Order: sequence, then C-alpha cells, then structure tokens
Amino acid sequence: MKKESTAVKSESFKQIYICSFGVKIEIKYDCALFTESELIESLHKTLPNGFEIIGNEQITHHFDVFTRYRNEELLFVIHKEKEHLVAARTREDILDCLESKVRLTVAEFAVGKVFLHAGVVGWKGKALVLPGNSFHGKTTLVAELVKKGAEYFSDEYAVLDEYGFVHPFPKMLSMRGIIDKIQQLDVPVERFGGKAAQKPLEVGLILLTEFEKEAIWNPVVMSPGEGVLEILSHTIPIRYKPEFSLKVLNKITNRATITKTRRGEASVFADLILDFFEKQTI
Amino acid sequence: MSNSQNPVARKERLVIQEMPDEVLVYDLETNKAHCLNQTAAFVWKSCDGENSVADIVSQFEQTSGSRVQEDLIWLAIDQLNERNLLEKDLPTKFVGQSRRSVLKKIGLASMVALPVIASLTAPTAVMAVNCSGVAASCLGCPDGTRCNENLDAVIGTCAAGVCNGD
Repeated sequence: MKKESTAVKSESFKQIYICSFGVKIEIKYDCALFTESELIESLHKTLPNGFEIIGNEQITHHFDVFTRYRNEELLFVIHKEKEHLVAARTREDILDCLESKVRLTVAEFAVGKVFLHAGVVGWKGKALVLPGNSFHGKTTLVAELVKKGAEYFSDEYAVLDEYGFVHPFPKMLSMRGIIDKIQQLDVPVERFGGKAAQKPLEVGLILLTEFEKEAIWNPVVMSPGEGVLEILSHTIPIRYKPEFSLKVLNKITNRATITKTRRGEASVFADLILDFFEKQTI
Repeated sequence: MSNSQNPVARKERLVIQEMPDEVLVYDLETNKAHCLNQTAAFVWKSCDGENSVADIVSQFEQTSGSRVQEDLIWLAIDQLNERNLLEKDLPTKFVGQSRRSVLKKIGLASMVALPVIASLTAPTAVMAVNCSGVAASCLGCPDGTRCNENLDAVIGTCAAGVCNGD
C-alpha cells in the first residue's frame, strides 16, 4: 500500500516570472533543487526564441517545483495550478520535465500564434512542415534534411502566425537512440552542419509521414479539408482557441500542398522528400 | 414553407470554416471536428427549416446538373444527425439497413459524389504532444498509453509501462 506522501520542508523557495509569446508564467522552486541561473539557462534552452523576466502582475500560469517523500523515497515533483503534474526520481529528469511543461504551456496559450507538434525545415524559400507524434522519427528526419542543406526551424513545433507563415523555433534537436530508445539527448543543429533559420517562411508543403520499416514512398495529396482534419491531431491550442487555430490552418492549407505517406529510413528518404517538395512548391 | 419535420442545421456553438470544396465544422460542445465534402456541405447549408427533403433534392439537382435519388439526400441528413449537426433528431430513413448496403445502392445509381463526413475528436494540448509514443506523464492521457515509469512515480498511474488510471 502506498504511504501518504509528505512534502519536504524547505526554508528557501524562490519565484521567477517570465513572459514568452505573451504567456505569463510563474515558476516557484525550491532553491535546494537548482539555482536561479541554472533555471534561467534551462528556460533559454526550452524557449529558443527567448523570454522576458517580468513582474508578478497578471500571471496566468503557475508552476511549483519541490521535493517530497513517498515510501521513504525522495521524489522531485511539479505542480501546475496546485495540481500534481509529474514527479521524477532525479533532479535532471525533473528539470527536463519542467522545460517541456513550460514549453507546452507557451505552445498552448501563445498569443497570436498556433503551435503544431511538428518538425520544420526551410528549403529554397519555402517551409516544409512535418507534423507527427513523438517516437515516429520527426527529429531524425529533420536532422537528415538539415544535413542535406535545409534550414533548421524546429524539431518540435511549427509556430504559425495569423498570415500562415511559420516562424523558427530552433531548440536543440532532441535525439533519441544515442543514450537509449527513450531518453533524449539535446544536440545543437550545428552538429549536423546546419544553421537555424532567422526569418519566417510561407508553408510550401505539409507532409504527414511516419517511419515504417521497408515502407514504400507513395505520397497521396489530400484535400484541404482532409488535411486540416489530420493536422488537428497535432494542433496544440485547438481546444483553447479553436476559431483562431482553424482560421490559421485554413489559410495554410489553401496555399500549401498536404501529402501523406509512410517512409523508410530518413537518410534514404530525405532526398526523395526534397525532390518531391521542389516539384510541388517551387 | 416552414414545417417542423423539415431539417434545420445547427448553428450555435459551432466554428465553421469554408474551404474550396469542403466545409470544416468544429463543435465547441464536443470538441469534435467534422469535414463535410461538397455534397454533405450542400445538404447541410440547405437545411434551413424552410426546405423539405424534396426541396433539397430539387435544389441539388439544379446545382449539380444531375438527377439524384432522395436517398442520397437522406444519407447526408443521417450523417448530419449522427454528428449532432442538426437542431433536432430526425428518424433515420434506413431502418434495418446497413450503411454499407445503403451506400452500395445509392452509389451505383448516383452520378455525383456521395455525401461524406469525416470526423475527429480534437486532442487536448497534452494529448497532442505527450500521449503518443512513450508519455512522460499519464496525466491527461487515456488508459493504455505507454509511459515512462521513472517520470511518474507519485500518482502511480504508470504501471508496468502503461497508464492505467488508478
């Protein structure tokens, strides 16, 4: 039977208040876990477009990071709006979790932007958006495309504005398969000989693709409506701001081609994808 | 003339996006999105409470330039009804018949595209990112989602690598 968990008493909690994409967040943390500069460094990693340190007014999202015991085991815990969000056994894991939860909060509530869970690269003046679930090879494919000379936008989020342009969100690439199949290692895009994009681009192609061993490249062009329906599964703020999200997706899908196919190894298919992209968009 | 038996398209609590040959409808009550193809969209827009099904058939024939059976319009109405896109429920015209047999019957006789409505439940933000692959936390994910046990120790919902809702 599980013992009731008890919070570890700490004398020293601190708060910082940040604003990114118009989203105002408080992070209250136990100073025994990490220093303010460690936290800020971590936030810079997770929010590559930067953030402002702000005052404590009009904060709409609150995180608490602390430790507690359960069954005599020390755990690192994050609460959001006083509700349990996640716990971890190591300080490193909880910092990783905090990064991803803060990033997700920004992605959901960003003012004037729609975040899609997608990899993005730029190629010859247009953007290729690769919506996809985790563990379906998004980052690997983005890395291969960057190796071929594509401009790096993101391996996690396509940040779309109201005009249907995609903005860079150039966090380090979270590569799996280096430590093990689950854990991610952050790798700078320069390691792949690439560079991060600086300016937004119009979306040329949205490619819905998943890795499948021995898959055959068979791109099927979808209608805008079917395409939006598929992309909705990867649209972070769809429930929070459905009207704005659909307006932006509609704008994009009316201009860009939406295609679906399974694919094999990223290193083999990267050339096929870029060739297809050029034929469809340039 | 308005008749209480005439179908009426629901308008409240819906976000509607017009696309070149389709209409996308997002239901704010259920968080479901529906993509209506041209035929389904035509029927839905014609459901104004004034038009009877026979009126919609005639308007559809004028617009498409093809003769259609009333069953084709009823097939659209049935689907709109199922998806809660009409103001009030209408009894199905195809009692005792499978959707497959109805489609086959109408499809063989039809020169126009059959009405199709594709639907999807919109994910929460967490589900859009976290509940695929191996979730870092089971919070917000459906039971059965694969999860990382090391990251979800306190609430105990990740057991043997699967969210179980305990």
